Amino acid sequence: MSDHSTTSEWYKNPAEREVLKTDLLTLNMGPQHPATHGVLRVEIKTDSEIVVEAIPHIGYLHRCMEKHCEGLDYRGIIPYTDRMDYLGAMGMEWGYALTLEKMLGTEVPQRAEYIRVLVAELQRIASHLMFFGTYAIDLGAFSPFLYAFQDRETILRIFEELSGARLLYNYIWIGGVWNDITDGQLRRITKFCEEMSESLKKYHALVGENHIFVGRTANVGMMSKELCFDHGATGPILRGSGVNWDLRKNRTYGLYKDLDFDIIVGEGIKGQVGDCWDRYWVRMQEMHESIKIIKQCLDGIEEGPIIGKVPKVIKIPEGEIYMRTECPRGELGYHLISNGGKTPYRLKVKSSCFTHVGLLPEVAKGQMIADFVATIGSIDIVLGEVDR
Amino acid sequence: MDMTNVNPHEDTLTFKKWFQNVWRGFSTAIKGMGITFKYVYSVKPVTIEYPEVREELPKNSRSRLFNDVQNCISCHMCATACPVDCIYITAERREKDAPKLKTSDGTAIRLDLKQYTIDTALCCYCGLCTTVCPTQCLTHTTDYEYAAYTVDSMKYDYTSPEIVAWRERLVK
Repeated sequence: MSDHSTTSEWYKNPAEREVLKTDLLTLNMGPQHPATHGVLRVEIKTDSEIVVEAIPHIGYLHRCMEKHCEGLDYRGIIPYTDRMDYLGAMGMEWGYALTLEKMLGTEVPQRAEYIRVLVAELQRIASHLMFFGTYAIDLGAFSPFLYAFQDRETILRIFEELSGARLLYNYIWIGGVWNDITDGQLRRITKFCEEMSESLKKYHALVGENHIFVGRTANVGMMSKELCFDHGATGPILRGSGVNWDLRKNRTYGLYKDLDFDIIVGEGIKGQVGDCWDRYWVRMQEMHESIKIIKQCLDGIEEGPIIGKVPKVIKIPEGEIYMRTECPRGELGYHLISNGGKTPYRLKVKSSCFTHVGLLPEVAKGQMIADFVATIGSIDIVLGEVDR
Repeated sequence: MDMTNVNPHEDTLTFKKWFQNVWRGFSTAIKGMGITFKYVYSVKPVTIEYPEVREELPKNSRSRLFNDVQNCISCHMCATACPVDCIYITAERREKDAPKLKTSDGTAIRLDLKQYTIDTALCCYCGLCTTVCPTQCLTHTTDYEYAAYTVDSMKYDYTSPEIVAWRERLVK
């Protein structure tokens, strides 16, 4: 090392080259990076453009939701559940309402059950459209985002008329739903479904079949079945890795047992099973399935009451329960412990996004930075749900 | 060509594959361009030019809260239901010889409302307070343009005369 006079000579010597190892560059991606979908900070150690290590830092959106709930009455918690996953708020409310209904033994009227499935599936479409748009932006395409928002706007408009708010609905209540759905709205949903199945095909041709998009996502960010099982991945991630698991079918709740739909499983059409393209494809196909479910609901919905008998002051009998539902992003579980009072003793939320963030360090190893962005986008995280 | 289980990064590039790649890139891009081009003329604009064109919110839209204090019986139901505790009420018992007051739906008013303040900056617009109101005097209006310069000015005392004057405009 001392004699540097003949540069090419010492470089050729493998023993000396060993000493001249390149240093890893630490790079902070986020918390205000557009590709991290919120306030996720990923500390990346890079060797030129290869990610050697990625450490996600979470907690920027932590709002002590679980602790707050311990001081709130059971109805007052519903607005807080909205604010966890603000892109799939209906699913969050439904899971919570189901938890309490199971503890109380409340019967939910048939019409309310239909409306719940209807809004939850519409919300799933809205959430997946958001994924579709932002994922295209992550990979450098801008116009799909605008198209997706145009359709999402129709759904949000219906929700706004239904509940009064665009994102944080407080619509699904314990024992039923808040407002009744009108025939005019049902007709609009029917029309929307017809338009949507046409535009979904168009969107897939525009983005999913595009050679550049395929090049950026196929064989990128592979998550094997075993990796998903090890980290407890759920939802489209698990299904994208080729596991046939959907709580709507496997641990059925609501009206899903009577409805006919398929579980979409990644097949590795453009690359290998469990790559980013598969996760994208699972979500796109799930929207078609959601439309199928909505159509069945529109046929089956009947007149009737929309809210069951619930005591004015809700007191949950002593005990505990774990209830899980399939939200747009994966499994959402509520673990409620009650000691018989007006407020919960403890409400623990199992969020899917939190477990999915744990997958990132495993997948990131050896990826290019650009591929890492594609991987973050493909797991579709909402930081509100990660931190709660 | 069957692309299944072939990693393009590891695969050797042949002439055939190179041309296939070029063709696939070209054809799918043209297809996407065609879809985008359709949007130029066949789709109506969906955005509105906000300050000139104002959208009317749906009737049950949950925007600014308004309390019609003449019908309020100071029952504290809204303040109890509020998950963020943003409603502050001060009320005193009415004197016995004072004239008897009733709300528009006939409920007797037994308490004098001294102060009814909602911190709009703290409010989460969940609508739980309006659902528990027994006289339905507390309602969400469709008023949505009320940005303010200071947080303090977001606190509305609904007993103050200028806010009572909103009644003409807001209550239908």
